[in-house]
Amino acid sequence: MASSIDDLKSAIKEALPDLDMVIAWTAGPDPLSHTPLFITDEADIERIAWDPRCSQNLAGYLTGLRGKKVGVVAKGCDARSIVELLQEKLIDREDVTIFGLHCTGAVDARTTRKALGSSRGVEDVAIDGATARFTVAGEAKTLPLGETLQQKCFTCTGADAEVCDHFIGEHGLPPQVGERPASTLEELEAMSMEERLHFWEDQMTRCIRCYACRSACPLCVCQDHCAAQSREPHWVDQTDHPREKLMFQAIHALHTAGRCTECGECERACPMGLPIMTLKQALNRSIQDLFDYRAGTDPDQAPPLFEFREEEKNIKEREW
Amino acid sequence: MSVNEGKELRIIGFLCNWCSYAGADTAGVGRFAQPTDLRIVRLPCTGRINPLFIVRAFMNGADGVLVSGCHPRDCHYSEGNFYARRRLEVLKALLPVLGVDPGRFEYTWVSASEGQRWRSVVTSFTEQVHALGPMPGFKSGTSLDMCLCHMDQNQVL
Amino acid sequence: MLTARYIANDKLLPWLLSLTETRQVLAPVQVGGQTLFAPLDADSRLDLKGLADASAKAALLPRCETLFEFHYSKSEGVPSRTELELRETLPDQETFLFGARPCDAKGFTVFDRVYDAGTRRDIYYCSRRDKTLVAVLACTDPADTCFCNRVGGGPGETDGADILFTPVKGGFVVEAVTERGDAFLLEQPLVEAEDRTEEARKVREAVSDAMPDEAPLVGIQSKVLELFDDKGFWEGITSKCLSCGACSYLCPTCYCFNMTDEIKGDDGVRIRTWDNCMSFQFTLEGSGHNPRDGKAQRMRNRIGHKFSYYPELHDGNLACVGCGRCIVHCPVSMDVRAIVDQARDRALAKEEHVND
Repeated sequence: MASSIDDLKSAIKEALPDLDMVIAWTAGPDPLSHTPLFITDEADIERIAWDPRCSQNLAGYLTGLRGKKVGVVAKGCDARSIVELLQEKLIDREDVTIFGLHCTGAVDARTTRKALGSSRGVEDVAIDGATARFTVAGEAKTLPLGETLQQKCFTCTGADAEVCDHFIGEHGLPPQVGERPASTLEELEAMSMEERLHFWEDQMTRCIRCYACRSACPLCVCQDHCAAQSREPHWVDQTDHPREKLMFQAIHALHTAGRCTECGECERACPMGLPIMTLKQALNRSIQDLFDYRAGTDPDQAPPLFEFREEEKNIKEREW
Repeated sequence: MSVNEGKELRIIGFLCNWCSYAGADTAGVGRFAQPTDLRIVRLPCTGRINPLFIVRAFMNGADGVLVSGCHPRDCHYSEGNFYARRRLEVLKALLPVLGVDPGRFEYTWVSASEGQRWRSVVTSFTEQVHALGPMPGFKSGTSLDMCLCHMDQNQVL
Repeated sequence: MLTARYIANDKLLPWLLSLTETRQVLAPVQVGGQTLFAPLDADSRLDLKGLADASAKAALLPRCETLFEFHYSKSEGVPSRTELELRETLPDQETFLFGARPCDAKGFTVFDRVYDAGTRRDIYYCSRRDKTLVAVLACTDPADTCFCNRVGGGPGETDGADILFTPVKGGFVVEAVTERGDAFLLEQPLVEAEDRTEEARKVREAVSDAMPDEAPLVGIQSKVLELFDDKGFWEGITSKCLSCGACSYLCPTCYCFNMTDEIKGDDGVRIRTWDNCMSFQFTLEGSGHNPRDGKAQRMRNRIGHKFSYYPELHDGNLACVGCGRCIVHCPVSMDVRAIVDQARDRALAKEEHVND
């Protein structure tokens, strides 16, 4: 890791004169979570951080910066978001310089804070095989990956930024998570339909409608013109009813169907810790079966709901 | 309360104007006996159907939703139903995760002349939904109930 | 001399549950892996460690509040005429809010100045306020993100509260702060605090003394205002902002709302729901024009309101209580303390530049 951060810094230093800015990460106010860093000045390059605390998906900023020459640092999943944006022609390849990395897994600040008791004094985090190593106030502590990584890392399909201009460090495999808690999708599958509905009802009671899930989603490109706030059509009412909040999650899931790369930003951003990536995971699994398609892997492919085949190989239509 | 002393369920049908809506009409003109649970919403094309119409219908308490359009390659607008087929197929993956039994939603193709076929589609689908019974509701009722009962003393602040 | 009592740790929950017989008791409980304020019942898992994930503001300003109900009906005499019937829905629930932190309670004083201000009284807010007893729990373990001492508060302060709980050995010292709190405590079957009040005072003092001594963020109204037209500054600090509403909705002092009618058939409600100035729709005008159409202008308003416009109107009191929830829960880890520090430094640098 030490060498990759130096390589990353020098690659950015070299590219910066030809770019308007480079987006990377730096240490944040919370010792367990870094924060995006917008670099326009060479002096800021020294502040770059790269370790498992770099959780934000920086691809989300690219659509808002269209027309500028932007460099962006990307983990495996972040790079898939960039590819998806390219597929949908929402950003221009020639304007984006991707500094790709191999990710060893991203820590979930919320669960890790609980597992460590507090985030106070965390100085360093590294992932070494199936173990996360923390230095807390000079003392070494370890946690198994299943207790510290984000949910999305448990189903990681590629830890390397596949599409990039500069690959920094060495290629590698997704995090080797041993035992992990059951995913919400697995939990739901053991429930009856009614229990599933009531599971969501209970979860959505906590939702405060801040829409951080939407704002953090790199593919939610409507942003200021979201259906959630439309009065005409009246997709959702403004009451505090869990049904309306669940409806919004259905809107988000279907608007990103066939586009979502499971970067997990919706779930990470949620201040109430709602397991909302579950809906997208269910859709993605079906899309993989139906169309043999995974979002964000091939810049030249069209997303499956943008097109059709006259004869659909995997769709069995019902004969009444 | 429905006319059939609560035996009737609320099934919403989203029908394409050019074929299935006319097919339903053909069935009616032919005086084919059909179940009466279906409430029809006429649309210009199944391609006009946002899968969220269907989610919203279930959230509002529908017991079943049936979509019907032109047969593939027979779309009035050439390709609307091809897009619809993909979208509706994807929707089928979302409904059970939300807690809606997959048997409560189907899509099918019925042309304007297929009155007999329409009758059999409606009959089978209605039977299928009846076998599942009414859609389970939210514990907290509807949003209006919530406001009217002063449940704005939120369960969780 | 106001009443001071003592309650042992193991007596606390039974006592709180006994209160639920006569009123609603709101307390921080564990819900789905989080600590949130909710009505207490026998199944609740009370959680008094640290700050709750969301503030207690919804106790007085619910996320969604019915202002009135209405019903349309055909006029009996003239069928073409529609009659409208309105029904008042004032809150009437007696509530005991337990375990709010001093910052949560201080947040209520921010609301009081706006919603209970002489001739301008918001009846919904005021009736909730009147029916709610606020019992704060002094902090003993402030987090890294806590900065109440920089915004005019403290981990053992009682602004906005009626009763103060301080953890001491084996239990809590319970002290009345207001007359209302005193009257309530006198009726409670709790033992005398005796000399434990002195122990409680020492606990509070020790925590307060241990908080990092950094420059206060009060009294800089004019500095923030000077930067109003400094586009570069606001764009710089907001480049990473996602413009979501997590900060506002978790903030114990944000009180802006939206009003909508939600109608089903002939019945409807007018509701008031939380709104947030980081949303595009907040200032969107009917014409389609939006005076704050970028996140930089919106953040300028958020910071300006908390540290400049509000204190200008309300004797220097900030609309920030230093709970740090906006920092902990920000998806991109923005730090309001750093923004205000930078604003002050930049304004000071500009002033020096003018003097040169």
